[in-house]
Amino acid sequence: MTDYLWDPSAPPDPEIERLEQLLRPLRTTPPAPRLPEREIRWMTARFLGPALAAAAAVVLMVGTTWRSGSQSIGWSISSVSGDPRIESASAREGGQLGVGQAIVTDAGSRARLEVESIGAVTIDVNSRVRLLESRDGRQRLALDHGTLHAQIVAPPGQFVVDTPSARATDLGCVYTLHVDDDGVGLLSVQAGWVAFEFNGREVFVPSGASARTVPHVGPGTPRYDDVDQTFQDSLDEVDYGGVAKRTEPSLEYVLAHARRRDAMTLWHLISRVDAAHRPAVVDALARLVPMPDGATRDGVMRLERTSLDAWWNALGLQDASWWRVWKREYPR
Amino acid sequence: MEQVLTFPRLQPARASEAAPVARGADPAAGRAETIRAAADGDQDAFGRLYADHVRLVHAILLARVPFGDVDDLVQDVFLTAYSRLRELRDPAAFCGWIASIARNRATDFLRQRRPQVELPEELPGGEAIATESLAALDAIRKLPEAYRDTLLLRLVEGMSGNEIAERTGLTPASVRVNLHRGMKLLREKLS
Repeated sequence: MTDYLWDPSAPPDPEIERLEQLLRPLRTTPPAPRLPEREIRWMTARFLGPALAAAAAVVLMVGTTWRSGSQSIGWSISSVSGDPRIESASAREGGQLGVGQAIVTDAGSRARLEVESIGAVTIDVNSRVRLLESRDGRQRLALDHGTLHAQIVAPPGQFVVDTPSARATDLGCVYTLHVDDDGVGLLSVQAGWVAFEFNGREVFVPSGASARTVPHVGPGTPRYDDVDQTFQDSLDEVDYGGVAKRTEPSLEYVLAHARRRDAMTLWHLISRVDAAHRPAVVDALARLVPMPDGATRDGVMRLERTSLDAWWNALGLQDASWWRVWKREYPR
Repeated sequence: MEQVLTFPRLQPARASEAAPVARGADPAAGRAETIRAAADGDQDAFGRLYADHVRLVHAILLARVPFGDVDDLVQDVFLTAYSRLRELRDPAAFCGWIASIARNRATDFLRQRRPQVELPEELPGGEAIATESLAALDAIRKLPEAYRDTLLLRLVEGMSGNEIAERTGLTPASVRVNLHRGMKLLREKLS
């Protein structure tokens, strides 16, 4: 390969340069569109006064009713081994982790965070965890890097861990989350479920399964931990490969070797593959779990929620309605 | 030589796999500020986002929709992004996010388009596009998706391999492979 194809500032390759000249007229740059006026600007002159008064009243009302339910909850810290630190201070003797603070462990230390009504989080060696939010109904940590083990007793949706490439939302479970220095993450669920999401790309990971996540892309397709290595590698290729020549055989391998319980994986793949490959995924899933009443092939192909939910419910894992409910009740 | 993905083996995470401690500063702070300002209606901030990403969006659309519709759809994509900017939680993901909007917009456009008589790409009054240019574009469009986007970013938008990697989220190695294989296939088609 010529350097010029990689680097346009390198000495030109005549053939590529000719192609560039041929294609250059297609390089049009329309002007940036004007932004539409925000409604608030239009409101300003005539309605801002009454609107502010109304807003103040709402704030007063909400404040009064929320006071009892929005108090910050302290996460108590204890050292499991070594000398974990809160920012620069030692946490060897324990203490409380406040919102905005970070707990850091080195190669010789581990720590435990605990709230009776929420559960416990063990932070492994070489990890950094921040407390981002803490109030009734909402606990949010960030795992910047390292490993944490969560045992959560709070209702689904209340405990959330942000990573550099996805958000893990506990749906009542025990799980391990690891993030390496590049922000690549791995979620492994030991009990219950975890929703793993980034910019609308969402997966649901059941007990005994894992899912990767990669910066700027988000979570990969969940798979049970007992699938063979080729199956895992093929799924990674489908999720993150991006080269059709290799992705297609990888997808074929996954579809041909999926077991009954891997229907969970195939269901996720329906909405992750492009339209050209979707029929093959639908056919493979239908061989494992026949499409139920309430789902239609056309609906599934168009990714209609009703059809996808109906098929999910037929997998025998858990009814789709329950996680729709927590999403409504705990909007992010 | 065949490019191979280099993910480590997927195993349930264990304590022994934990990573070292050092982390750098947040590189996305400037972009986050621009995005926040654009979301608040700052036309200058929006203009900067536009200037930084218009070539990416243009190439994605050019790979998929008729040339005459590309400019309108570019503007459409940015207005859609503007209306949804507050949904974007991670500023570092802006490239991938707007690329998805562009791909979805192209899909919607093609789905909604009624069957119609194909008009010539250049109509009276517009700048004429040589038949040869359109033939080359047509040949690129027939390549697999990964190759055509990468080649258009390089050959039409003039990006370097490193810029393409940065904009698309692909690794430089993947971009290199896409350019190499795409170019090889394009040569075969054009010959």
